[in-house]
Amino acid sequence: MSATDEVLDLLPAYVADELDAAERERVERALAGSPRLHEELGGYRRLFVLLAALADEEVVLTASAERRMLRQLAIGWYLSGTVRFVEGLAGAYGRALIYYLGGGRAARTQQGGR
Amino acid sequence: MPEDLSNMVTVSDAALVERARAGDRGAFNVLVRRHQVVVYRVCYRILGNGDDAADATQEALLRAYRRLDSFRGQSAFKTWLMRLTVNVSLNERERRKETVPFDESRAAAMPDPASDLARAEAATQLHQALQHLPPNHRAAVVLRDLEGFSYVETATALGVPEGTAKGWAHRGRVRLKELLT
Repeated sequence: MSATDEVLDLLPAYVADELDAAERERVERALAGSPRLHEELGGYRRLFVLLAALADEEVVLTASAERRMLRQLAIGWYLSGTVRFVEGLAGAYGRALIYYLGGGRAARTQQGGR
Repeated sequence: MPEDLSNMVTVSDAALVERARAGDRGAFNVLVRRHQVVVYRVCYRILGNGDDAADATQEALLRAYRRLDSFRGQSAFKTWLMRLTVNVSLNERERRKETVPFDESRAAAMPDPASDLARAEAATQLHQALQHLPPNHRAAVVLRDLEGFSYVETATALGVPEGTAKGWAHRGRVRLKELLT
């Protein structure tokens, strides 16, 4: 790898301010004499502006999706608790009963999670 | 006896986890309320659309509830939850194996992100470009550059050494720049 390629490799971390002092100095020395590195630096600067814009963008669950999710979670918690309780009482037979009654996924996950 | 949720607003995650482990479902509800936004956001960035992200969020939170006993407190609860979230999202992504072609001609014409409108459009392009990274690279960029995790936290959430997380984030950034310029 050439010296320029090595500096090229450091540019994203340079823009993200992740380099130590020696690495920063090395990048800045190389930038001083290289239009190509300057062009690449511009590309990364723009990328990090966009990353910041995307990070600032509000991403929220819609109210209906949130209600649906919380309802499903409540059902899942209930089934988890039921599976534990019935397993405790009746072992594999209890698990089969839960599966039969519609808690198959919960029962499988309970098994897989152990 | 579970306490009123309004009394738990200032309670730490670690204390809420202890209560939830002891059977206090209200405590876990507070954890859900506290973290569901970031879980959904990470799912959305990895999966690319709201419906799949909502399903993955639900699965990640349910999985967290079932696996609370495996949380050892060696990392923050949020980091542990992120690990489950990333795993669920990447598994879902792998299961679907869908890719939407990236419109490079639009990206090439992308304006400099100076105005709010241009920034919004460019951010949309970036969101689409993210979907074209290898899953591990995408997850590293999402956690590091969008969620502001440290590399240690990113590595913990991804279940890899710190150097690997750094390499994935680096390669993701390089590829994103290629896609967007």
